[in-house]
Amino acid sequence: MKKMITTVLALMICAGNILAAKIVMEGSTTVLPIAQRAAEEYMDANSSSDITVRGGGSGVGINSLISGTCDIANSSREIKDNELQAAASKKVAPKAFVVAMDGIAVIVNKNNSVSGLSRKQVADIYTGKVTNWQQVGGKNERIVVVSRDSASGTFESFGELALNKQKVVSGALMQASNQAIATTISTTPGAIGYVGLGYVTSSVKSVAIDGVEATVETVLKSRYAYSRPLYMYTNGEPKGETKNFIDFILSEDGQTIVTEEGFVALK
Amino acid sequence: MKNKITQFLGFSLMTASVVITLIFLISIIYLIASKGLPVISWEFLTSVPRKGMTAGGVAPAIIGTFYLTVGAIIFALPLGLACAVYLNEYNSKGFAVNIIRMSINNLAGVPSVVFGLFGLAVFVKFFGFGISVLSGSLTLGILILPAVISASQEALMAVPYSIREASFALGATQWQTIRKAVIPSAIPGIMTGVILSIGRAAGETAPILFTAAAFYKRGYPDSIFSEVMALPYHIYALMTEGTKPDQQTVIAYGCALILLVIVLMISSIAIFLRNKYGSSYVN
Repeated sequence: MKKMITTVLALMICAGNILAAKIVMEGSTTVLPIAQRAAEEYMDANSSSDITVRGGGSGVGINSLISGTCDIANSSREIKDNELQAAASKKVAPKAFVVAMDGIAVIVNKNNSVSGLSRKQVADIYTGKVTNWQQVGGKNERIVVVSRDSASGTFESFGELALNKQKVVSGALMQASNQAIATTISTTPGAIGYVGLGYVTSSVKSVAIDGVEATVETVLKSRYAYSRPLYMYTNGEPKGETKNFIDFILSEDGQTIVTEEGFVALK
Repeated sequence: MKNKITQFLGFSLMTASVVITLIFLISIIYLIASKGLPVISWEFLTSVPRKGMTAGGVAPAIIGTFYLTVGAIIFALPLGLACAVYLNEYNSKGFAVNIIRMSINNLAGVPSVVFGLFGLAVFVKFFGFGISVLSGSLTLGILILPAVISASQEALMAVPYSIREASFALGATQWQTIRKAVIPSAIPGIMTGVILSIGRAAGETAPILFTAAAFYKRGYPDSIFSEVMALPYHIYALMTEGTKPDQQTVIAYGCALILLVIVLMISSIAIFLRNKYGSSYVN
């Protein structure tokens, strides 16, 4: 028995040295569905490649790229200055690829009578100036503010696009993923939240911002207020398998995946 | 008469407790089975996730959970058993030993996510094992270590002292006594500890979240330094990060069912071993 365990362990360690064409992707949970589907189809076409996809949030992904534990960092926001400095100190040169466009949809419970808000009203709700739906034309009901956690790129983008970098009200529920927000909104009557366009389902209601609905078309034409690009960051100019994968995502087939997953393709 | 009423009330309360517990158990199993069974098929068990995790199977997650659980046992069993033998056979009194005992008991009460962070800091970062089966197994191993130690200790304590005395009387050394007389008699109890630990190791999400789990990976782990998909994390990922809850929730229930069955299967192997050794050694 003892011998068997030792042999198995030794074999396992030896096997670790034989590596296939490996790509590790980590980061934004918003980009996750695109990354996962793309990885799936890429591996279907290239059986020798081995792609791993991890979530964690945009900040986590960029951090991993800097510390060298991932090849591609998925991000739903642009890299920050302090991250660029950290990267430079480790001789990492992040290179950005815009892989898709996304709109941050503001969603409310299905039974909410409010179907449109102005940008100012959204900012007021999220900074705590407005606390009851009555103040924005709804019924007399307390507003439950739901937000993403601070590791999220969607949180950062929303802060910039919608709140002009003001702080989210301290009583807000912070959720770790888009799907968690959608679930909270669908089960909480007075709740308001924001998710990537791909996460808007029939179980929640998307509200128009300044009279413009969040749709593929309005995002692509930049008519929708909260539109943003989604990124994949690589260390320097991508090489080998990583380059092939980025090329695949930017190709027509890759952009079809983007559309199928509910995001906005670049072309 | 009064005593009879008290007895009747007492028995009724106890029966009610048993019934309530059973109702919970049965409803959990029924709920998971009724929601999960429709997706279970040979293909679901043996193929990889397809179409953005809305179709196909969960084979990589099953294999991953198996690796992690077995890995955790490989690390925790020898270490835990050695620790229990030391504490019970060689040095059972004294200040230092009490401190060690106290630490082990405290370790058992640490929330699992703390083990996850510990694993991230120590195995993933400090030792540089990366996010891998090895890091995950070590983290899970530490998580179940207290349970293995206390179960082994209880089992060793339950071995009658006369068995040791008989062995010494035949001229055996202390190590020979432990190896050939004490441990074999204690195996049933140790196995029980291992059984309980397996369930915990297989079902934990937090410790592997930062140390071993990947959201999506197609191939099977080719070494102990590979990341893996794991059933509990797959359930978590589908429920929180999936974009198509209609199809993915069902898959999550399917995973939950498989997880239940895997735990039952590993447990029954341990129970089988326990019974086999139990009948031949225990007096």
